[in-house]
Amino acid sequence: MWDIVAQIFPYAIAYTIPLLITALGGLFSERSGVINIGLEGLMVIGYFCTAITVRYLEPVMPPGTAVPIGLLAGFVGGMIFSLLHALASINLNANQVISGTAINMMAGALTVYLARTITGSGNILIRTGLFRRTVPVLSQIPIIGRLFFTQVYSSTWLVLAILLISWFLLYKTAFGLRLRSCGEHPGAAASAGINVYLMRYLGVMISGAYAGLGGGIIMVTYSGEFGGTVAGLGFLALASLIFGQWKPFGVLGATFFFGFAITIANVSQVIPEFAVIPPLILRVFPYVVTLLALVVFSKSSQAPKAIGQPYYPGQG
Amino acid sequence: MKKVLVIAVVLLSMTGLLFAAGAREETPARLRVGMVTDAGTIDDKSFNQGTWEGIVRASNDFDLDIRYLRPAGETEAEYVREIGNLYDAGYRLVVTPGFKFETAIYIVQERYPQAKFVLLDGYPHTGDWNPVVGDNTVSIFYAEHESGFLAGLATALELETGAVGFIGGMEIPPVQKFNWGFQQGITYANANYGTNMTMDSRNFVYQGSFDNVAAGQQLAASMYDRGVKAIFAAAGGVGVGAINEAKARAATGQNVWIVGVDVDQYDEGIYAAGKSIILTSAMKEIGNSAYDMIKAELEGTFPGGQILTFDASNYGIGIPDENPNLSAEVEAKVAEVFRKLQTGEQVVSDERGNLIR
Repeated sequence: MWDIVAQIFPYAIAYTIPLLITALGGLFSERSGVINIGLEGLMVIGYFCTAITVRYLEPVMPPGTAVPIGLLAGFVGGMIFSLLHALASINLNANQVISGTAINMMAGALTVYLARTITGSGNILIRTGLFRRTVPVLSQIPIIGRLFFTQVYSSTWLVLAILLISWFLLYKTAFGLRLRSCGEHPGAAASAGINVYLMRYLGVMISGAYAGLGGGIIMVTYSGEFGGTVAGLGFLALASLIFGQWKPFGVLGATFFFGFAITIANVSQVIPEFAVIPPLILRVFPYVVTLLALVVFSKSSQAPKAIGQPYYPGQG
Repeated sequence: MKKVLVIAVVLLSMTGLLFAAGAREETPARLRVGMVTDAGTIDDKSFNQGTWEGIVRASNDFDLDIRYLRPAGETEAEYVREIGNLYDAGYRLVVTPGFKFETAIYIVQERYPQAKFVLLDGYPHTGDWNPVVGDNTVSIFYAEHESGFLAGLATALELETGAVGFIGGMEIPPVQKFNWGFQQGITYANANYGTNMTMDSRNFVYQGSFDNVAAGQQLAASMYDRGVKAIFAAAGGVGVGAINEAKARAATGQNVWIVGVDVDQYDEGIYAAGKSIILTSAMKEIGNSAYDMIKAELEGTFPGGQILTFDASNYGIGIPDENPNLSAEVEAKVAEVFRKLQTGEQVVSDERGNLIR
């Protein structure tokens, strides 16, 4: 059993990381009081920006430099695109769910259109993405070495670092306190001199940037080809956010649970120990658990109080 | 001001109607050939693209009006609607790639007796799998098992020793036949050319979809971890994930291969200048069939009402003409067996028998 876990662990991590960073992005947005259903679309934007950047830089840049620039492009692209959502839901007081849905619908169509216009094909293929590496000394540590330092992508470390930084930002800095207060009671925050608009803009932009990075990581790790969709991962990130009760480490646990359960379902066929369980059951397992968890937690939900409510200056 | 606007809009739309009506009455001088895409885009590097390339080639040779429509979804109603749209626009020959069109073609072949239909990889039926091929429809199948056989043979001859695996998309006949043929090809090479390839039932799987890229990558990774040297990926988007995994491994110096499917996938497997992880590809010459049917229609010999099978004997299947990863010697041996398939000297079974899955 241990061998199987150790063997599929790197792949489960690779699947979890884009989910984690996207859910973390959603956390910033929702903690500032703006629902972000558009995570899926923002991931697609990042996926596209990374793909097209790497596709054109790869032949002309020294090896290994195109991918980081591509990821940066995904990060920036997601951030810029999220401004649409910010504008609609913060300045124009639109319904945030509708605005997010619009982001999702636009992203899929726009990116395929752009891909076809620019490259002549709706699918963008890159030659090389990131490679999994085994960290020389650390991988010798018993158990932990085998699980966390064997066959890892460098993007994994990047995202885990972002997780720690995000936690620090949210809970240990004035900025984090201000951001969270805008999601709990924007009127009170404003009366204390906080610029609610600015805070919410930052929340949404961070969510766009993180989701864009998540999409970019999918591109350079397990996919390798842009195809216009991230197959519902953005919504899964949203579910993880709720499952994780809007807390960074809760989100880490939730995304890891999803990543591991889905990986087991995916590879169950080639691993005889799992093959005794019908694939269908493995496939629905994480979603059933999520539903149950939501039912159990619904009474004590930690959702930000002012989530989804537009802020009007001067409101009480 | 508003009234003026309203009147202007009404007038404009009326003239629009008039012109539209005028255009409809005009009989097209050139044959109009339409296509409705299956799941995925027109440039899917697979069925849609292969079919469309055949149509484009025919258009260059015979001066046609061509057009493809992409349905909003993959249901019978949506397929029927798009075919109807093509018909209304004067398209009288419609090519549809893929078995998902079977029931839709059953409906339209009766609804539009003036039009002709080419159904690739399927036959029209009402949902009960009893073939009803109308006089205006031709149904085309491919001998995937022969294609898989040649690819398996080439794989075994080139690699000589090691384990092979298979990742399929959905467990449907065309994919299964690729798998069964592939296994027979490996066995044939082991028996007749002294190669020593091994097959383990754990490494022969159907993922269950054609679009789960992540699962493709994870399945391929698990197989390579277990020492599999080459994977035959007949799985659409799932194969994309497998190819990506192989590229990442090959780029770090591992000796892993993918056998492509449907079309020559060599270019998709390139990970460094002049290096690709696509050993060879088990191809169906989809474009050739579309081209042939258009040509037949123009010559008045459209084989309506028939179910045709494209196999080795009419060059409907095979491995690519150029395989940079195969030695000339291997290619020569494969060509030799290809001729045996053509003459019927060597037969590949399209039944599972006692093969793996």
